Amino acid sequence: MLTNTGPVAKLYLSIIDDVIDSMRELFLDEGLEDRVLDDLRHLWESKMMQSKAMEDFRQNNINSSNFVLQLPASYNQSDQELTASVVIPASQNVHSFPVKNSSETLATFSLPAALAYPVQIPAGVTLQTASGQLYKVNVPVVVTQAPAGQQPVSHPTQKVTERREAPASHPAAVQPHPILPHEVEPSSLPASSVTQPKTSLAPSQESCLPQLSPEPEGTLAETELSPQPEPVNLSMTASPSTQLFDFQISAEEVLTQTAQTRDVDDILKQAIEEERGKAERLDLDYSYSVLSDIVQLDGPADNSDLEEGDGVPLEENDFLGIINAEAIKALQEGNGSSDGNSISSSSDSEGADDLADVEEEDPLNSGDDVIEQDIPDLFDTDNVIVCQYDKIHRSKNRWKFHLKDGVMCYRGRDYVFSKAVGEAEW
Amino acid sequence: MDSSDEALDIIVTNVVATFRTRCHLNLRTIALEGTNVIYKPEVGKVLMKLRKPKITASIWSSGKIICTGATSEDEAKLGARRLARCLQKLGFKVRFSAFRVVNVLAVCSMPFGVHLIDFTKNNRPIASYEPELHPAATYRIKHLKATIQVFSTGSITVTGPNVQNVATAVEQVYPLLFECQKPLCK
Repeated sequence: MLTNTGPVAKLYLSIIDDVIDSMRELFLDEGLEDRVLDDLRHLWESKMMQSKAMEDFRQNNINSSNFVLQLPASYNQSDQELTASVVIPASQNVHSFPVKNSSETLATFSLPAALAYPVQIPAGVTLQTASGQLYKVNVPVVVTQAPAGQQPVSHPTQKVTERREAPASHPAAVQPHPILPHEVEPSSLPASSVTQPKTSLAPSQESCLPQLSPEPEGTLAETELSPQPEPVNLSMTASPSTQLFDFQISAEEVLTQTAQTRDVDDILKQAIEEERGKAERLDLDYSYSVLSDIVQLDGPADNSDLEEGDGVPLEENDFLGIINAEAIKALQEGNGSSDGNSISSSSDSEGADDLADVEEEDPLNSGDDVIEQDIPDLFDTDNVIVCQYDKIHRSKNRWKFHLKDGVMCYRGRDYVFSKAVGEAEW
Repeated sequence: MDSSDEALDIIVTNVVATFRTRCHLNLRTIALEGTNVIYKPEVGKVLMKLRKPKITASIWSSGKIICTGATSEDEAKLGARRLARCLQKLGFKVRFSAFRVVNVLAVCSMPFGVHLIDFTKNNRPIASYEPELHPAATYRIKHLKATIQVFSTGSITVTGPNVQNVATAVEQVYPLLFECQKPLCK
C-alpha cells in the first residue's frame, strides 16, 4: 500500500506543483508578489496534510495546535450534494504552518498541504492564509483538482468562473454558465471596493481579460496591493460593462474547453468577492436541482387517481368513513403531484386511505404488518469511491465492477487509481 | 394409491405476483433515493430487490409492479406489501391494490427415470417432445392451466397459476410418468 511518500501524496504534491508553477507567471503579471503564491501553496499543502487523506509523509507536523481554518460553532458538512469525496474534519490534528491565529473563540484547525481533492469548503468558514489574510467563505465552494498540464492561460478565467461552480465535475460546470452573466457584472464592481489585496486581483483579472489575448500582459498597470482598489479598476481602459461582457464570453469558452484547475486561494478570493457583492447580486443558486432540471423520460408525473372507489366505501363505512373520504379528497387535491416529498401527508392520508381501500385491498398499515426493511446503516459510511465506470455487471447477487479514473476514500485515506476491479455480494 | 405427495417433495421455487400502487411513480426519484434499486431507463423500469423475503420487483412508472422470487404465495404478498411500504416511504401515495399471483414454479423429482418417447406416445397430443429443441417433454393440463416439463432423469418442473394447481398437476401426471418409468442409469 502506501509508503511514507505514498503515490497518492506524490500525485497530489505534483498537482500542487504544477498548478503553482503555472500560476506563477500569471501572478506576477497581475502584479502580485510571489509571496502570495507561496502563501497559497502553503495553505494548500497544509490543508492536504490536515485531512490526512494520504500517508502523512511529513510526519513531524502533527502536534502543533496552530490553526489555520476557522470554523463556525456549528460545523456540518455532510449534506452537500456535490461529488466531493473528502470532508474536512472538524477537529483534526494540525499541521503547524506559519500562521498564528489568535482567535480562540472559534474552532480552528489547519489543513494539511496534501489535501485530498475534491474538497468542500462549506459556508461560514473563514480561511486564513499563512500571511494572515482572512477569507470568509460565505457560499459553499468546492475545490477540485484538474489533470496536470493545464494551460496557465485559462487560469484567470477559471478563477473567476470557478466560484460559479459549486459542482466539481466538468460536465456540471457547464451548467452555471447561464448564471455567469448575472453574477459577473455586479460582482466585479462591488469587488472593486474590497480592501483585501487579493480580492482586488480578481476584478482586475476580469476586467483585463477581455482586452487580452491569452497573454495577460500589457495594458494592465501594476496592481498595487493597496487599500484603494478603485484606482486599479479605473485604470482599465475599457468600461467595466464591456469588459464583463467579453469576459463572460471568454470565460465560457475557456471553461468549456478545458477542465478546471482550482486553487484554494482562488476559491477564497472568489468567496470574498461574493460576500462583498452579495447585496447587489442576484440570488445565487449553486445547488441547481439535478432532479428537476432533467426531463423525466418515462412520462409526465400524474396525479393520483382519484379513486372510483371513493363512493363505494361510503356505504360500507359509518359516518367516520364519510368524513375520512372527504379528507382523502382534500389531501389529494392539496398534494398535487404524487411524487412530492409528502411523507407526512402520506402518513396522514394513510388513515384515511385505510378506510377507503377496504373494498379494494387490505390497506397498508403504517408499520403494522408491513415491517420496515433493515435500515442500511452502511450508507452512513465515509468510504466513498468517486470514479467512472467501464462496466458494472451483476449475476443474481454477485456484482462485478470495472472502474476507472477515480479516487477512493477509505478509512480516511485517499487512494487514486486509473483502473479498479471489484467484486461484491449483495 | 394416488397420494403421490406422500414421497414426493414439491418444492416451490418461484412465485410471480403483480400488484398496483394506484398512483404514478417517478422512477427517477425511486432510482435516486431508494435503496437497493437498479434503474433501467432503456426499458423504463426500476428493479428493487428486497432481502427479507428475497424478492425482486420490477416497478413501472404507471404504478404496476411485478414481484418475483418469492418461495410461497404468502411470502410474495408479504414482500409486495413491504415493497409498497418502501415506495410509500419515498413519498408516493401508494395504495396496495390488485395483488394477484400470476405464476408459480415448482420442481419435483421422481424417484425414477422417465422414458420420454414412450411418455409422449402414450399422451399425445397433450404431451409434446422435441429433443432437438429442448431435452424435456412438455405436458400441458389445460383445465388446470398448468405446464409440466418432464426430463428423462425423472425431474419435472411445473408451472401454474397458483400453488394448488401445481400440486394437483403433479398428482395428475404422476401415474402417467409412473407408467413410462425407466431405471435411472447409474
